[in-house]
Amino acid sequence: MMNSSFWAMGGYARYVWPCFAFACVVLAWNLWSARRFRVAAQLRARRAAEMAMAGVGES
Amino acid sequence: MWTWFYKLASPPYVYGVAAVLAPWLLGAAALAMGYGLIAGLAIAPPDYQQGQAFRMIYVHVPSALLSLTVYTVMAAASAVALIWRIKVGHAVSAASAPIGASFTILALVTGSLWGRPMWGTYWAWDPRLTSELILLFLYVGVMSLRLAFEEPSRGDRAAALLAIVGVVNVPIVHFSVVWWNSLHQGATIVKLGAPSMPGSMLWPLLSMWLGFMLFFAAVLCIRLQGEVLNRERQSTWVREAVKS
Repeated sequence: MMNSSFWAMGGYARYVWPCFAFACVVLAWNLWSARRFRVAAQLRARRAAEMAMAGVGES
Repeated sequence: MWTWFYKLASPPYVYGVAAVLAPWLLGAAALAMGYGLIAGLAIAPPDYQQGQAFRMIYVHVPSALLSLTVYTVMAAASAVALIWRIKVGHAVSAASAPIGASFTILALVTGSLWGRPMWGTYWAWDPRLTSELILLFLYVGVMSLRLAFEEPSRGDRAAALLAIVGVVNVPIVHFSVVWWNSLHQGATIVKLGAPSMPGSMLWPLLSMWLGFMLFFAAVLCIRLQGEVLNRERQSTWVREAVKS
């Protein structure tokens, strides 16, 4: 188990931990938004392919 | 060698390569960042002047370097797209912009958190901080300009021009601490001569830097797949790809 002095960061905990926490948020957001963007593009492309097969122009 | 380069202009080839590379790059990024995080937080000794507060370097420096790297990638891709009329260049530029903007915000926020205990303020209109803020505005400008036109190709061209013109800010950000009086410390790693840090502090930093770069490459691959699909969705190869 980590001792309390590690978490205290020599009195700078209120700056150090939010810094790392925000970095985690940015990394997670990048991964999540990129995957969501790709899935949305795949859905749009699938819909366009289905419409093309049905002979309807995409709106 | 040039065959490989020419292949990069082909959307189906780029889509396939990005799909294969993304998980490997993500895995390598996790390993590099995992080591950097453990060594940086628990093994590296505290700084003799800044104490434990210096550990913010393991997030701040990689994110700041990445903000400049991503902008350079975006500008280079834009130049390739404009000069050789390679459509994939616009897709790379569009996929890079939100990633670069997010890491610029991370660099600014972590810099602020570091500045408060060291300088006594979260923000100062210092040359380094101001030029990094201008970099964020450039990212936002490139993204907005791309969406500002009804015809996507015009938006791509306008965004590419702004990205290329804005690249002049990259050396300004880097050399601002040399050219002007600045609260910000000078270069520690990216400079002529050996880095001014002991190995026990430097290796975790280099590992985090590598991890951030690999993470960017992985996220770029994922976003690039989406961009290519959006731009090529009327093509036969996309219809075949989404059917399978």
